[in-house]
Amino acid sequence: MLGQGFEMPVENKPSGPLRVLFVDDEARILRALKALFRDVEVHATTDPRQAPGLAAMHDVDVVVCDQRMPEMLGVDVLREIKANHPRAMRILLTGYSDLKAVLGSVNEGEVYRFVNKPWVNSDLRGLVIEAGAISREAPIVASDELTGIEQNVARTQVGVLVIEDDTTVQQRLREILQPHYQVRFANTAERALQVLEQHETGVVISETATNHGTDLTLMLKALKQYHPHIATVVITERANAQTVIELINEGQVYRMLIKPVRMGSCRLSVDSALGRYWKLKQNPQAVRRYGVTATPETLSAQTRMPNSLLSRIRALPARLLGIGR
Amino acid sequence: MAAISWIVTLLLLVAIVVLGISLWRLRADNARLSSAHSQTETELKQLQSSQAQVIHTTKLASLGQMVAGVAHELNTPLGFVKSNVEVVGDLLDDYRKLVKAYDAAVQYCQQPVDLMFGADKSSLDKLVKHVEESRRKLFDARNAVEKSPLLTEAKELLGDARDGIVQLSALVQNLKGFARVDRDGIDAMDVNEGVESALMIAAHQLRDRIKVVRKLEAVPKVRGMPSQLNQVFLNLITNAAQAMEDEGTLTVATRAGNNQVEIVFSDTGCGIPDDVLPKIFDPFFTTKAPGEGTGLGLSIVHKIVKSHGGSIKVRTTPNRGSEFTVVLPVESSARPTLH
Repeated sequence: MLGQGFEMPVENKPSGPLRVLFVDDEARILRALKALFRDVEVHATTDPRQAPGLAAMHDVDVVVCDQRMPEMLGVDVLREIKANHPRAMRILLTGYSDLKAVLGSVNEGEVYRFVNKPWVNSDLRGLVIEAGAISREAPIVASDELTGIEQNVARTQVGVLVIEDDTTVQQRLREILQPHYQVRFANTAERALQVLEQHETGVVISETATNHGTDLTLMLKALKQYHPHIATVVITERANAQTVIELINEGQVYRMLIKPVRMGSCRLSVDSALGRYWKLKQNPQAVRRYGVTATPETLSAQTRMPNSLLSRIRALPARLLGIGR
Repeated sequence: MAAISWIVTLLLLVAIVVLGISLWRLRADNARLSSAHSQTETELKQLQSSQAQVIHTTKLASLGQMVAGVAHELNTPLGFVKSNVEVVGDLLDDYRKLVKAYDAAVQYCQQPVDLMFGADKSSLDKLVKHVEESRRKLFDARNAVEKSPLLTEAKELLGDARDGIVQLSALVQNLKGFARVDRDGIDAMDVNEGVESALMIAAHQLRDRIKVVRKLEAVPKVRGMPSQLNQVFLNLITNAAQAMEDEGTLTVATRAGNNQVEIVFSDTGCGIPDDVLPKIFDPFFTTKAPGEGTGLGLSIVHKIVKSHGGSIKVRTTPNRGSEFTVVLPVESSARPTLH
C-alpha cells in the first residue's frame, strides 16, 4: 500500500524500448546522440521551448538537456519538465558550467546527473539506460510538502543534524532551526556519526569542509551511497562548480545554499528536505530515484577516511534510519 | 682695547655657538627629511607592488574568463566529433556483419554445383529446391547490404565530425590570433580579425541572451600590438555584455575615416549616469560590488588606446545604452609610443 503523495506509473505502464528526449541547440550534437542511441526511441529538438511539451507527449523516460541555449537555459527546461512530467529522469549535459547554473540544477531542476561535454560514449549510454530503468520502476515523490499533521509527527520523530565547526554559523542555525526541529550539532565527522548512530536523522546540514580544512564531502557521499533516503542540505561559502557537480553526481545533495545563511531559504530547504525524508520513509522504493554511484576515485578516497568512519556509516542501524521495519 | 678684544672674543664665541646650533638643527632636519623620504619611498613601493598585483589579478581574471569561454566553445564540437568517430566504428562493425551474411549466402549458392555430380531423380528435386532457396537467400542478403542505412549514416556522422574539426581548428586559430603568443610585438593589424577573435572569446557571455550585429567594413590596417588591442576589444565587449542585464543587442561596427579607423561598440544596456561618466577611465574606479571588479578594465583600455596614438569616445543615454568608439590611426600615419 502506497502512502499519500505517491504516483506509481501503473496506468499505461511504459513498455517497449526506452524513450529518451535530447535537447541541444546544436543539431550536430543531436545527430551524434541519435546515432549513439540508435537502439532506443529517440526524440530530439533544438528548440528548448518545445521540450516540456515533447517530454509529456511522448511520455519519455529520460531527458538529456544542454545547459546553454539561446532561447532558454537547460536548468529552466528541466524545472518545467520536473513539474509537468515528473516521471522523467533529468540529466544536464553541458560544455561549461558556471556556479549559478550548477546551483540552479540542484535547487530547482533536481537533476539526477550532471554530465560534461565531451562525454564518454559508454558512460553516457550506461547512465541513460540505468536512469530509464529507474524511471519505469521507481515511483515518484509527487511533492515534498507535508500536511500539518504529518509535519508535526515528522518533526518530533526525526532529527536534523548540523555538521559545522564555525560557532557563529552554528549560533545562526540554532536561532533559525531550534524552535522548529530537533537539531543536533556536530563539530567533526566523528561526532556526526555518533549522532547518526543514536538518533533517527532525516536531514543532514553540512559544510563542504571544516574550518580546519577537513573535507566533509567524502562523508556526505558515503552517507548517500549507503543511506540514500537521508536528505542533505549543503551550506557553503567556498562553492566551486566542480565540487558541486561532484556533490550532485555522487552525493545527490538535496539543496545547496551559499553563506551567509538566510532565514527564509534555510527554513524552506530544511522543511522540504524533511518532507522528502518522510515521504521516502513511507515508500522506500522511490529512493532509487535519488541513488548515487561513486566513482572509483571516490571509493578509493573513502577507504582512507579516518577512524573506520566508512564501516560505521555502512553499519548505521536501519531502525534508526526509519526503514526496514 | 682689552675690553674690545674681550667683546670680539665673546661675539666670536656666540657666533660659533649659534653656528653650531644651526648646524646641529640642519643635520637633524636632514635626518628627519631623509627618514621621511625613505618612508615615502617604501610607501610608493608598496603602492606600486599592490597596483601590480591588482593588474596581475585583472589579467588573471580575464584569462580565467577567456579559458572558460573557450572551453565551452571547444567542448561542444569536441563532444560530437568524439562521439561520432566512435559510433562510426560501431556502424562499420555492423556493416561487416551484413557483408559476412552475404558471403554466407554466396557460399550456400555454390553448393548445388557439388550436388549436381552424381545426381539422381530425387536429389534433382532437392537441387531445384536448393536453387530456389539460395536465390532467395542471396536476394535477401544482397538487399540487406544495399539498403542498409549504416554506410549513409556513417558518412553523415563523418561529415559532421569533419565540420566539427574545421570548427575546432578555426577556434584554435582564433585563439592564437587573439593571444598572438607567436609574435608579441608591433605589427600591422586588421582590426576586423581582432574584433572577431574577441567576440569568439566572449561568446559564452553573449550567446544566451545577447544578439550580436556585425557591421564590419573593409578597413586599412592599423599599426600596434595585436594582443593589446584585442584586450581592448574584449574589455569593451565584456563591459557591454555586463551593461545589458537581461537581453539586448551589441552592435560592433568598423569603418575607415580620415587616415584613421573607427571601431564602435554599442549596447542597449543601462547606460552610464552623468556623475559616473567623468570617472570611468580613472584607475580603480568601479561601480561593481567590492571584489567583483578591480576598476582597471577601462583604465587599461584607455592606456592601451592612447599608447597606440588613438583616442576613445563615449556616448551614453541612461537606460538606453552606451556607445564606445575607439579611433586608431592607420598603419602609415601611426607613431606609436609603446612601452
